[in-house]
Amino acid sequence: MAKFSIATVFIASISLLLALSNSFSLENPTDRRILVLVDDLALKSSHSIFFSSLQTRGFELDFKLSDDPKIALQRYGQYLYDGLILFSPTIERFGGSLDVAAILDFVDSGKDLIVAADASASDLIRNIAAECGVDFDEDSSAVVIDHGSYAVSGTEGDHTLIAADDFIQSDVLLGTTKIEAPVLFKGIGHSLNPANSLVLKVLSASPSAYSANPKSKLSSPPSLSGSSISLVSVVQARNNARVLFSGSLDLFSNKFFKSPVQKAGSSNKYAKSGNQQFVTELSKWVFHERGHLKAVNVRHHRVGETDEPAIYRINDDLEYLVEIYEWSGSSWEPYVANDVQIQFYMMSPYVLKTMSTDKKGLYHTSFKVPDVYGVFQFKVEYQRLGYTSLSLAKQIPVRPFRHNEYERFIPTAFPYYGASFSTMAAFFIFSFVYLYSK
Amino acid sequence: MELSKISAVKKELGTLFRYFLVFCKTWEANGPKYYDSVTLKTLAFQIQLVLQSPITSPAIKFAMAKKLGFAFLVLVAASICEAAVIFNPISEAHRSAALELFSVAAGKFSSLEEAFEALRTFEVLEIETKPDLKDSTCKYVVDTLSSGSSNAKDLYHALRVSSLLKCKISKGDLAGAASRLKDSVKDAKSLLDFYYPVGGLILIKDQTSEVDVLFADGDGIFRSVKALSQSDGRWRYSSNNPESSTFAAGVALETLSGIITLTSSEIDGNLIDTLKNDVVKLFDNIHKYDDGAYYFDDQLLDASGHQGPLSATSSVVRGLTAFSSTSGSLNIPGDKILGLARFFLGIGIPGNGKDLYYQIDALACLENNRVSVPLILSLPACVISVTRQEKLKVRVTTVLGSTAPPLSVKLMQVFSSGSKDASIIKQELKFDPKEAVHTLDALPVGVDIGEYVFAFEIVLSDPEHKKIYATGGRTKVPIYITGVVEVDNAKVEVLESDSIETQKTLDLPGKNDVALSANHLQKLWLSFQLTTPLQNRFKPHQALLKLRHESGVEHMFVVGNSGKQFEITLDFLGLVEKFFYLSGKYDMEVTVGDAAMENSFLQPLGHIELDLPDVPEKATRPPPQAVDPYSRYGPKPEITHIFRPQEKRPPQELSYAFLGLVFVPLLGFFFGLLRLGVNMKNFPTSTVPATFAILFHGGIAAVLVLYALFWLKLDLFTTLKTLGFVGMFLMFVGHRTLSHLASTSSKVKSS
Repeated sequence: MAKFSIATVFIASISLLLALSNSFSLENPTDRRILVLVDDLALKSSHSIFFSSLQTRGFELDFKLSDDPKIALQRYGQYLYDGLILFSPTIERFGGSLDVAAILDFVDSGKDLIVAADASASDLIRNIAAECGVDFDEDSSAVVIDHGSYAVSGTEGDHTLIAADDFIQSDVLLGTTKIEAPVLFKGIGHSLNPANSLVLKVLSASPSAYSANPKSKLSSPPSLSGSSISLVSVVQARNNARVLFSGSLDLFSNKFFKSPVQKAGSSNKYAKSGNQQFVTELSKWVFHERGHLKAVNVRHHRVGETDEPAIYRINDDLEYLVEIYEWSGSSWEPYVANDVQIQFYMMSPYVLKTMSTDKKGLYHTSFKVPDVYGVFQFKVEYQRLGYTSLSLAKQIPVRPFRHNEYERFIPTAFPYYGASFSTMAAFFIFSFVYLYSK
Repeated sequence: MELSKISAVKKELGTLFRYFLVFCKTWEANGPKYYDSVTLKTLAFQIQLVLQSPITSPAIKFAMAKKLGFAFLVLVAASICEAAVIFNPISEAHRSAALELFSVAAGKFSSLEEAFEALRTFEVLEIETKPDLKDSTCKYVVDTLSSGSSNAKDLYHALRVSSLLKCKISKGDLAGAASRLKDSVKDAKSLLDFYYPVGGLILIKDQTSEVDVLFADGDGIFRSVKALSQSDGRWRYSSNNPESSTFAAGVALETLSGIITLTSSEIDGNLIDTLKNDVVKLFDNIHKYDDGAYYFDDQLLDASGHQGPLSATSSVVRGLTAFSSTSGSLNIPGDKILGLARFFLGIGIPGNGKDLYYQIDALACLENNRVSVPLILSLPACVISVTRQEKLKVRVTTVLGSTAPPLSVKLMQVFSSGSKDASIIKQELKFDPKEAVHTLDALPVGVDIGEYVFAFEIVLSDPEHKKIYATGGRTKVPIYITGVVEVDNAKVEVLESDSIETQKTLDLPGKNDVALSANHLQKLWLSFQLTTPLQNRFKPHQALLKLRHESGVEHMFVVGNSGKQFEITLDFLGLVEKFFYLSGKYDMEVTVGDAAMENSFLQPLGHIELDLPDVPEKATRPPPQAVDPYSRYGPKPEITHIFRPQEKRPPQELSYAFLGLVFVPLLGFFFGLLRLGVNMKNFPTSTVPATFAILFHGGIAAVLVLYALFWLKLDLFTTLKTLGFVGMFLMFVGHRTLSHLASTSSKVKSS
């Protein structure tokens, strides 16, 4: 019996270990387990292309109704999920222990979040967004209308179906393949807090767009208008948690994925909208399949040496090397860029230099230590749009010359040396002359 | 008497008026959907009451009735507006979706149930099945039927697949399967225990007439299934499970109709009548969407573990079709059947195979059912452009998209979304048999560009068809009529106390670049006129003027409608605070847009130079502007350390030259000594003093060398130590030498 229980515990711990090793970690930053909260399970079918694209990429999706009383993000202090998808725009109160604070804690612990709202977005969803610097239009009846760049359609005449093509210029967010076809959007707009530097507008509305109720007359200026309306935004927190906000749940739907699109005033007809590519690429980013960097093997030494010294002397020539890799979803690939910069820093940067790369992930540079002594830092502060930020700092003291390290024989002083020695020679001769001459 | 009557009238009037006000407020807050038929009836009743009340003054009567009548009209219009949604029949998109969702990996289905769902969907959508897939599936079917270990469920699915694929199955296998199914019916307990064998036996009956599949005790089996029914029309899965389900109701109906077919004797007519009642009760539980779609909801997990309205509704439709085909007509209103069809069509294209099967199978059942066949009115396009002279086209088909029986379509009413009133017209659409579309030749009189709701009515040509087809009365569809709006008399002016300072005409839509200037005592005035193709005035939804300061601060104003034209006056005196006292160049931009306007535009007008007063202390600061994300993340400019410059030194040549010069005095010294004729005559001649003299001078030389060494490499301690020893030695030898020299010189003096 005892043997049996020991075996059970052993098997349980092994399976727990396996489960843990399968989840998000520093070495394997892609999310694995995702909780999907929906208002209606029919969404599973109407948005199945999006969900199956996640499943084929290896994610385990756990679908729950958003008012399910059994919802829990963590158990025994451990998070059960690495990501959360909120496809429940109308929910006023989550089931179980989930609330705004729990979701923010989830993000604060480095987990990822996708939130989709639509014209019926509840205060709960608006609050979550507002906490992340995304402010949905306060007028609950307002939707984004665009009489300039709507999607031409035989059945949608009120110009709330928008063909948006003002994407952020970033390969890491939207993939290297350019999104040719416009993205269909039908929902509410939001604005970004200008003081928040972590939130980025991924898809903006066109300058002629505005956010209003299409059914009622516009009596006061719309609170959101023009290209300051953001349709889809992302947030990358300082702990590299990533959050996606979309004002349209339909953006992710099979219907929009497959529908042909033609932007008003343009003769280009596309057989398929850009939604699928846009959403797939963006979800790759959100779930850390792209744009996640790590820096390893940070080392520095004097030119011509290999060992790392404990201290540098002013005017030494040194070499600094670091290897940077990007997570591709399955493995760490060398990261290639030409803008990684190193700072030699004491209160302010004394040297700031762009490092050269061998295109295999290794970045290196060499420079002369400044002629100021003190405690310096090697600093790599790499913050690029869409990438996780790298922040490396290594302290290193710098000392002045020792007394015997200065130049020994200065030519300018030769006359003085000469004078001394000639006096000594003269004294020596004079001692003979004085004593023995007659 | 008269006085009390008047006060009573006043009181009544007040109550009614308050009621009306409350109604108006709720109307504004909730829109038309809030009011249902009950409200309508109440209101109509009140109008009647007012007209019948013993109030003397007919004028008051009339006024009250008028007010209530208006409310009534508004409600009627609203109740009609709510269901303006277009449903489209099954189309090509479903076929490609079916091929995608049921794409068979490795040429074989994973289970017979999945095979049936795929093959049934393909059959309804008229998609060819590949022969090799057919062969492999048939082999699977034969294996299942001949295997002794397959249970009733497996046999049922196998028979279902074979009925679709027309597999060749030996009579022995069929007979074996039939006897096994019959045995399982005998000891069946739950609903599904009945469902699979009965379904299987029906399929065997359809395939061959040589195997005996009929029940001897059909009545008894019927009763034991019927025992599972609930009072609300729903059914239980088994007698020991108290929970009832709508999905089970569909399954039960299908089973019972199967039992009726399989029974050799007649079933008790009363039983069938109660069953028909159950079906009607089931339809009392139906749910309704705003757009006129009806569906059944199910709380329980269904047999396949698939939950939701789609599977429940699909199951009921299947059961209903089977039941109505065996037991004759059912008393179910045609609009509910049409509502069910709308529910399935409203789903669009489901994202998984199971849902697609539920949808397509249910629609196929509806297409062929005996109760009433729904007809769907669809529009290829509901955005009609008057500039391109597009015509309104309507298509009437069955749910699967096949042609409808001869009929005509009439446009009955046109509702304008702006004014809520309905104009009643009866205009028949012209039928084009070649394309099977009904075309509206000309838009009704008075229909200008804008948003409308058109109400169509389908009139079947053959009165007999009215019993077979459900047309659902009036079908309301939203119609957008678009056209090019002409912009005239666009002007912008700067006014100072109502006298025109500057006036510029604008070309809208077109390129403009006006340059204006104004101070805070002046006003900016902008106006334009909009005319529709029918020469009516047009009020767009979006008419905005935007002023953007150089610093990026934007201000937006709604251009108001003054009846004749659109105009806006910006009095800068009142706006200085709003403009944050920011003087400088403001770019002007006007946006005019509407859903009905084909030439919506966003036009920069030029700029205005504003001269506003200085910022007072307490003024609010302009809000921070968004930072361009690209600039926030770019690489920083490089910094290189500027090293301290090297000390300035004379050129080396100069140093060497001076080094040479430094030796000149030494040479002069030597030269002087030679001129003086120095000699060494005083050097001691005897050995001992000479040795001491040599040692003495050697010592001096050693001290000098020590100095040189100190300069080159020795440190102070070594030098001083050595100097101590050398000094002592030097003292000794120096003393001997000097005393010897002194004694020699005193000898010479004395001599």
